[in-house]
Amino acid sequence: MAKETKSKSGTPIALIAIVLLVVLIGGIWFYGSSSTTNTPAANQANQTKPSAVNIPPGASLGVNMIGAPDAAVTVEEFADYQCGACASAHPAMKELQGAYAGNKNFRFIFRHYPLGISGHDKSYEASVATEAAGLQGKFWQMQDKLFTNQQAWTSNQNYRQMWVEYAGSVGMDVEKFKTDIAGIQTKERVDQDMQRGRAMAISSTPTVLINGNPVPFNQLNITTLRQLVDAEIQKATAAKAASDTAAQPASNANSNSATNSNTASNAK
Amino acid sequence: MNDDIIAEDDGHSGIKKLPLAAAVVALIGLVDAVYLTVKHFRNEVVPCSLLEGCEKVLTSAYAEIGGVPIAAFGAFAYFLAFSLAVLAAYGNRLTWTLFRIQVTLMAAYTLWLLYLQAFVIGAFCQFCLISAATTLILFIFALFARGK
Repeated sequence: MAKETKSKSGTPIALIAIVLLVVLIGGIWFYGSSSTTNTPAANQANQTKPSAVNIPPGASLGVNMIGAPDAAVTVEEFADYQCGACASAHPAMKELQGAYAGNKNFRFIFRHYPLGISGHDKSYEASVATEAAGLQGKFWQMQDKLFTNQQAWTSNQNYRQMWVEYAGSVGMDVEKFKTDIAGIQTKERVDQDMQRGRAMAISSTPTVLINGNPVPFNQLNITTLRQLVDAEIQKATAAKAASDTAAQPASNANSNSATNSNTASNAK
Repeated sequence: MNDDIIAEDDGHSGIKKLPLAAAVVALIGLVDAVYLTVKHFRNEVVPCSLLEGCEKVLTSAYAEIGGVPIAAFGAFAYFLAFSLAVLAAYGNRLTWTLFRIQVTLMAAYTLWLLYLQAFVIGAFCQFCLISAATTLILFIFALFARGK
């Protein structure tokens, strides 16, 4: 009986010690791991991709795209201008665009995805502002201004005036910019991107997809992004080479049969 | 005589069910707090989600006390609550009383943090809300076992 009591009193201490050990080891492992799978973005990346059927195309490609329209690799970013994580990922996105500038295999598409949550009250309007800038060919410059100065304008009541100043600083016609912000056309483009994001079940920003595959948030650095893009380019190049090789014997066979028939007719 | 109702024994092992359930809930809070602590020390931004504004809350001035993330204090508190609940589950009435006092203090602090998120920062952090939920559940457990 005494033995049983002793073993019973030892059990909770053992349980506590085990939990402490697991928490310490788990915490240290998580801290040191380079590819965490616990982040929401990673969870999202693990989700199965929604079917491409019934997914709206989003705003027509133009000012929101950098690169060749028929590129083999498409990087598509869904972002919110008041999202701190999007601002922190922005330099990597910019660097990626620069790294593949002029590469016919690469294109980058930006999609507006204002989250409409508390603390993101100006996100939608900011997206509209970049579209208005896009009408003057300054989409990316305005985006850069908004992300790099996010802290300043997001907490300022005169944020619209600040945007106008940004517009002026990148050489835009500010009066046209103001008119375009108020217009329908710019809002429609933002709405179209949002519809696409919703249909794709995007639940957090930034969401970056490379040829439709979500990249976990903690991999949104230039080194990893370049590796992923290079791998996709290589895959696409190999697939193209394989299809060319497959087409080659067929055309050879056709030309051979033509030669043979010519030879036969000559023999007659 | 202590008039607390901790919970009935399960009849076989002598383990009290209510403190055991409280220990499990405290464990959830512990995992959540450890996750947030590690994210803080890794200087990582939690991505924005449709449900909240994590990055705004977790990078606010209220996320730290003296350079230590409040998530780390939370992790310690949940571990303590877990330990007290486990000891209570094995029949230690004193630790259950301590658990109730601790959880009451945690619940009061949680209400303060919820107030900050709602009215001062203007954004909610989903991981902070999970923590708030676990603390409030623990508080209900503590109330439930207050006595006859």
